[in-house]
Amino acid sequence: MKKKRILALYSNFAEAMAVISDVRDHKVAGVSLDDVTVISPIEHPELVELLGDRPSHIRKFTLSGAITGITLGFTWIAAAQANFLVQPQGGKPVIPLPSNFVLTYELMILFSVFFTLAGLLITARLLRRRPMPYSAKVGVDQVGIELELEEKYIEPMKKLFLARQALEIREEGRS
Amino acid sequence: MNNLNTNAALTPEQEKDINEDIRWAKINEDVLHSMESPRGAYWLSIIVCLALLSLAVIAEIHQYLYGLGEANLNWPHMWGLYIATFIFWIGMSHSGTLLSAILHIIHADWRKPIYRFAEAMTTFTLLTAMLFPVIHLGRVWNMYWVLPYFSDRGIWPNFRSPLLWDAFAISTYLTSSALFLFMGSIPDLAIVRDSARGWRKKLYAVLALGWRGDDRQWRNFRVAYLVLACFLIPLAVSVHSIVASDFAMSIMPGWHITSFPPYFVAGALYSGCAGIITLFVLLRYFFRFEAYMTIPILEKTCKLTFAIGMVWTYLTFIEFASVWYGHNAVDKELLLSKFSGPYSIWFWQMLFCGSVLPFMLAVERFRRSIPIMFVVSILLNYGMWLERWMIVAPTLSQGYEPFAFHVIFPSWVQWFIVAGSFGWFGLLFLIFVKVIPSVSMYEVKEMIYHRRHLAHKDLSTVMHSRSASAGGNAAAAADPRRTPGTPGLEGA
Amino acid sequence: MSLQNIIENWSSYRKGAEQGGHHNYEHLWGMVIDLNKCTGCGACVTACYAENNLAVVGHEKYSRNLGMNWLRIERYWDEPDLGEESVAEYQHHGASFLPMHCQHCSSATCEPVCPVAATYHTPDGLNAQVYNRCVGSRYCSNNCPYRLRYFNFYSYYEESWPAPLHMQLNPDLTVRDKGVMEKCTFCVQRIRTAKDTARRERRKVRDGEFTTACAQTCPTSAMTFGDLLTLHTPGGGVGETEAASLWKKHQVELGKSRQQKQNPELRGYRVFEGLNTDPRVLFLERVREV
Repeated sequence: MKKKRILALYSNFAEAMAVISDVRDHKVAGVSLDDVTVISPIEHPELVELLGDRPSHIRKFTLSGAITGITLGFTWIAAAQANFLVQPQGGKPVIPLPSNFVLTYELMILFSVFFTLAGLLITARLLRRRPMPYSAKVGVDQVGIELELEEKYIEPMKKLFLARQALEIREEGRS
Repeated sequence: MNNLNTNAALTPEQEKDINEDIRWAKINEDVLHSMESPRGAYWLSIIVCLALLSLAVIAEIHQYLYGLGEANLNWPHMWGLYIATFIFWIGMSHSGTLLSAILHIIHADWRKPIYRFAEAMTTFTLLTAMLFPVIHLGRVWNMYWVLPYFSDRGIWPNFRSPLLWDAFAISTYLTSSALFLFMGSIPDLAIVRDSARGWRKKLYAVLALGWRGDDRQWRNFRVAYLVLACFLIPLAVSVHSIVASDFAMSIMPGWHITSFPPYFVAGALYSGCAGIITLFVLLRYFFRFEAYMTIPILEKTCKLTFAIGMVWTYLTFIEFASVWYGHNAVDKELLLSKFSGPYSIWFWQMLFCGSVLPFMLAVERFRRSIPIMFVVSILLNYGMWLERWMIVAPTLSQGYEPFAFHVIFPSWVQWFIVAGSFGWFGLLFLIFVKVIPSVSMYEVKEMIYHRRHLAHKDLSTVMHSRSASAGGNAAAAADPRRTPGTPGLEGA
Repeated sequence: MSLQNIIENWSSYRKGAEQGGHHNYEHLWGMVIDLNKCTGCGACVTACYAENNLAVVGHEKYSRNLGMNWLRIERYWDEPDLGEESVAEYQHHGASFLPMHCQHCSSATCEPVCPVAATYHTPDGLNAQVYNRCVGSRYCSNNCPYRLRYFNFYSYYEESWPAPLHMQLNPDLTVRDKGVMEKCTFCVQRIRTAKDTARRERRKVRDGEFTTACAQTCPTSAMTFGDLLTLHTPGGGVGETEAASLWKKHQVELGKSRQQKQNPELRGYRVFEGLNTDPRVLFLERVREV
């Protein structure tokens, strides 16, 4: 069955937490915490206590970036030096480790940064085409609770939202 | 301009890092307002910057047409103000990393209202610094040969050269810091997107990358931000160590000094912090940011600057001591000539501005005075600029070869280009702060939220709105400064 | 393939000058300058200007230290007591002359600092400057303790040789434009010609077959130019040249920053030997009667 998104706005974080507690306590049968997305103007590390530990995989991107940077960087520089043999300089070896270390270090950081940002784009699901229920007020001071639900759970959920003094409720497909 | 100057707003401004009762909508309003109508002084500054820049353009055209001799460079003064100013600007760039990355990792939340412009400073000082190696090249039109690109002749740049390390380090630093700056402002760009109209809305919609602030985004954003901060710190240290290597890796007296990398890093943080104070004062005035760039935050920045200034002073004297006790005749001769030779006027000014003047920052009365701090911060940077010149020029005037001892004063071409670099930086920076929110809205909100959270201890009553009425009365009573009926989020 | 190249030749690519390096020299051009014979006449400087198309910059620019003299005669008053105190600048005795041109150091400090690899060591053991590759960062000149590298701060050629003087330019080498570093090449065009001739005649380059412009011109024959390869790898090269035998006689060895002389009477030294740049020019100290 097709799922729809429903968004309710609250004036503060405590009210929003109360709604999440209700969902956790299965006040609406069939709706669980996994369906909940909290939209807020700032980050709330406290959410972990309610929503459970939702993992972030960015560090894996970073690590692979660092490894790529080190291996590619060193190989690239050393290969360039080994192919440019006409120029011995200052009595130094063809592949001088100190300078290659410095350059590899820089390339490691560069690749790590690129991979981390790519990881952010992917894991945070930025740049998505699909229009999502959103309110500009979330950028100011309100907290939104979004659930992705099957049609039949929408109405009971709306009731719960209203019982907890939702300021506004938006549904996907309706403005 | 709203009623920021009421008593309720003034008191916390002078005693607390930020007024914790400020409404969140008001933060958005103030910052978005700064992107629309700054004071007239802002436009005046733009004109001054353009004038300075045009001086540099004239000088550069002249130098390009007639040759570098017009800059009064000669044998043995192959480098001059260009390289000194290059190091100066690279140094300035380190403050942004200090504020945004180091202070982020040690959870110093007072950085939040001021780190955005410090980061912008990093990016634009780097863009300014990168001009100098280009301007000073004999054959500018071949500058791309320094880059390691695949050539069908199999020619590569020289990977052993510290100048090439510079190219790698600075381009890495510029890329990373620009991306860090951009990434950190995504949530704010989303706010701008929500309120902008017309073509601006389209522009900011692209820049905000579809940010809507859901918990998945915030979670990953935080991790990514932390990871990047962790990378930027060693990167910043390596960048200025590598710039120091331009000198430390050479063989010349006064350059070949082991303590140069840490010395350069300390000097970089020092001048960067002083630069932050200068821009702090300017932005606070231009955009009426009195509520966010508060006196206590200025004080904290000043204390930080003082501490770093003392580290720099220590390393300066350690350098003298190691040359003195090293007892190398050539090095020692050069050191003595710095104190008493042709450059001594500048050298003593540098010591005064770098080591004596920062004691002004140790006095609370001066620290809290905006005009005094503005002047002092500029003088500190004057001292740090002199320091770089005093590293480059004396060694060239007096190296190993006695026959090549020679002193020369830079010509108008060099001075114009140095002046123009300030115009170029100022122009980029001023345009940036008008286009991108220069105070981080979401982080100021976080700062307020967490400070109130700490103050009230009890999570259930700590909300970013309606707190006074929703049971925070006990805490409100404990805080006599709080006005009854604290402005919450009435708009809700 | 590159990776294979690195792995197979790793140990040779990791050798610096101290370990013998990976480089096989064909020649190792060097020089001996006997300061006993030098009168400081400056003929070598003139010869260098003529041979190498050195720009004549004029009085005004020369006084601004913009001269392009690859070879310079440095004058020092090494015994000021001998002169009249009031006019120390023009005293009657005690002047020393030191002809200085590029020392072609084996461990040249100018080479590793060039960002574009415009200066390097040729298989002839020369410290070469590739004008075409130079972008003019001037780091090499700053890192030369001898200050023997000169930069084209202007387009000197425009005024240096007004017609018909341009007819006297040496066609064997280029005229440099602004923005390029230059320095003594040990008259590389003469080395090139000699090597080409030798190859055509299927023989090795003979000692004394050619010499640099300065050595050729020196009226007192204070300069001796030649191949030092036998000193570098005994048994190799073109046999013992006059220059090599002088190095041997004065017990100065290449590749050492501290010489083990058995005879303190020997006059050979290299300038700033303690910097370990391993210069290829040997000076024979002047002996004075006091």
